[in-house]
Amino acid sequence: MNRLTTRLTWHHALGAVGLALLLVGSAFGLFQAPPERHMGEVSRMLYIHAPHAMNALLIFTFAGVFAVLSLWTAKARWDALTAAAIEAGLVLNVIMLGTGMLWAKPTWGVWWAWDVRLTTALLALLLFSGVMALRSFVEDPQRRAVWTAVTTIVAYVDVPLIYFCVRWWRSLHQVQSSPDTVDSAMVLPFRINLVAILLLSLWFILMRARLEVVRQAHEQAPEPAARQVAATVG
Amino acid sequence: MPEGVIVGGWGYVIAGYAFAAAVLALYGASLFWRLRALRSLDGDAKAPKPR
Repeated sequence: MNRLTTRLTWHHALGAVGLALLLVGSAFGLFQAPPERHMGEVSRMLYIHAPHAMNALLIFTFAGVFAVLSLWTAKARWDALTAAAIEAGLVLNVIMLGTGMLWAKPTWGVWWAWDVRLTTALLALLLFSGVMALRSFVEDPQRRAVWTAVTTIVAYVDVPLIYFCVRWWRSLHQVQSSPDTVDSAMVLPFRINLVAILLLSLWFILMRARLEVVRQAHEQAPEPAARQVAATVG
Repeated sequence: MPEGVIVGGWGYVIAGYAFAAAVLALYGASLFWRLRALRSLDGDAKAPKPR
């Protein structure tokens, strides 16, 4: 077992706990929690949609913080963490939009509406995808880190908009609920899945950042085999 | 059942959970695949410490 594998072992434990919690939380949400009075069984989308949505905003916030630290310190680890957090945030964003559409159809009657919450969430997907695309075009590591950090900070402006838009403007989407307004039998699976998705996201970020660091190291190496590694894991 | 409640929602629920599971599994698998590729191409190399 090489050193990389050893260092990644506890990351895998993080992912395993997250996966186990996700299975437990989803089982509670699907089979134990009561259906909501008006939405019926489709309200069970709450336990998969909202945890991904909240964690997507949190992980994009991590990316914003990492981007500032990358600009501030010019250290490669913050650049790797920025890219990793953006990628993990994009995965959560895709799930947020997909499950949101599947929830919108039976409740709103449409798969998609150019509502302010949906539009700002889609904009985040496009903006952060743009950051990753831009990143792939820049060969110089220092320049790539600076461009990634700056564009991430610009893209991050959309994240608070996603959260607050339902309070600031009229929206089809409901405003944020609180445990005071939700039955306790619904709060439990929601909170379990919230923690589960957070742990899985942290696992994704740590794994992806590790790969990014290795890729960057091999990218600068002169040997053809090392460059092949950089191309493969990038 | 109260009047106006949405019926037949299980299909959307199952589709939503399946979609989320598929995306998470695909991304997790892609990370493992990249790690595996790294190991096979660079078996003895030690992961460098970040600067």
